[in-house]
Amino acid sequence: MSTTSPTLIIDQPGTQTAPRILPSSREVFMSLFKADLTTQWRNRRASVMVILLPIVIVMSWKALIEKTGGAFVLSNAITLGLNAIGIMGYSNSIARDREKEIFQRLRVAPAPNWTIMGSRIAVQLVMIIMMTAIVMIVGYQYDHIVLSATGYAAGMLTAIAGGAVYLALGQAIVGRITNPETVQATSRLIYIAFIMVGMFGELGMLGNFINKAVKYTPYGTVKAIVSGALTPASWTNDTTMALLITLGYTAVFAIMGIRWFKWSSKK
Amino acid sequence: MSQPLVILPIHRYSPATHRHLNPGDRLPLDPLTITPYLSAMNTSTSQPVLQVENLDIFYGSFQAVRNVSFEVRPGEIFGLLGPNGAGKTSTLSAAEGLIKPSAGTIHVAGYDIRREPLHARASMGVQLQATSFQPELTVSEIIVLYGGLYGIKLTMDKVMTILKDIKLQDQAGKRFGQLSGGQQQRISLVIATIHNPQLVLMDEPTTGLDPQSRRQLWARIEVMRDRGHGILLTTHSMEEAESICDRIAIIDHGRIITTDAPQSIIDNNRERPEVIAASRRGKITLEDVFIGLTGADVRA
Repeated sequence: MSTTSPTLIIDQPGTQTAPRILPSSREVFMSLFKADLTTQWRNRRASVMVILLPIVIVMSWKALIEKTGGAFVLSNAITLGLNAIGIMGYSNSIARDREKEIFQRLRVAPAPNWTIMGSRIAVQLVMIIMMTAIVMIVGYQYDHIVLSATGYAAGMLTAIAGGAVYLALGQAIVGRITNPETVQATSRLIYIAFIMVGMFGELGMLGNFINKAVKYTPYGTVKAIVSGALTPASWTNDTTMALLITLGYTAVFAIMGIRWFKWSSKK
Repeated sequence: MSQPLVILPIHRYSPATHRHLNPGDRLPLDPLTITPYLSAMNTSTSQPVLQVENLDIFYGSFQAVRNVSFEVRPGEIFGLLGPNGAGKTSTLSAAEGLIKPSAGTIHVAGYDIRREPLHARASMGVQLQATSFQPELTVSEIIVLYGGLYGIKLTMDKVMTILKDIKLQDQAGKRFGQLSGGQQQRISLVIATIHNPQLVLMDEPTTGLDPQSRRQLWARIEVMRDRGHGILLTTHSMEEAESICDRIAIIDHGRIITTDAPQSIIDNNRERPEVIAASRRGKITLEDVFIGLTGADVRA
């Protein structure tokens, strides 16, 4: 990095104030990102658990591949992983750090608010990319699921788009609820509800109505776009509609999360 | 150029370096060497580093701070003294930019905290009451992080120099939560002053410290004052207020009752009947004046 950064503001002669130094947003963001990445790495046990479930799904559903196709298995596994990262991992870590007043300490520094939360989200995006890549690799190595290069690339992009829904939902949870224990309980409830209704509903085990309704839930739409992207030939108008609904969910949850969010849990 | 430089815009005499500094002097922008030069800039000017005017803070319908005005000058320790719930922390939080006042203005080093929040925050260092650093990070990583937030790139050598200065070089690799209370306060103070701010805000800095750690912290605060920093600290310790504050403001029920040097407050109020009634051993202390002015009832 240049030795002449930080940006220096020189006062005019004759004034009585000392020069003030304002760091660039990029410098601030990179400092936060490095620290948040280190924190995530030090909490790697929790990160491993988040990645473990999708791997278990991929490996245990090997027998289903012949019947439903590799994209179905991979998309379910990836969607579950996105669910865990956004709803469980992200919301709990934000609630825990807010309770410790870590955000208040950061906010008294000249760090724009967007860099503080943006860094956290960037770390979760790294987790999403890692999880998706690992699931694809395990799918290839263990289940012999082979996709096209376009399929892998598009699958990664839609995983990121789908991850945004769950990150936004996690933000909405932590925006609405300040108590970290309540955040943990609520996020677990939503996570389990999505798995039960989403996975089993789609398999038709909960009746026709649930089977149809699941397609419009965050679980169903994300699964649909990931599945459609992994095998681009199967992308239909319904998949496009699912993508639009996914983006809509992201926008709604993000607006809720930003408007409701309080930087401190103290009243 | 191996280091960024500050171009000094004004004439200053530096007591720390015993020389006159001229406009156009090029000074190293290094946190370890810039301090005496920054103190030179501050000690010669009488412009306050913090100006609070007509501050009102509401929490819903409850008014926590009422029409509070005060200023902190460079090279001064200003204490905000008050019972629990008096409005000290609310006032400090508003000065830190963490809460939005309903009315009034706050200027930090000439910057309006609402209109230019980033410049204002860059001009101040803050030590919050509760330790609030990421528990997974080591001491050295926290120092590097907060240096980065203020635009100061710190190498490990510089971090170790900083830690050696506060005799914590052996703790560099430890997590913040593993340190003792006194060690945590030393680290917090270093981080609050890492960018040599003109103003340092401290919320009850010696709470929970043993006497030795408290005295050590006082000594460090006084060194900061002598270097030209303006310091605002909140406390409900009379001993602390008398020992290190150059001026104090007594705040109660959101209002400032009086502002002056501690001895002057004692002298100006020693004849009051309520103060005499509060005194316990004949000699009037700051605590007697405080209880006389704020009442003897226990606060929730």
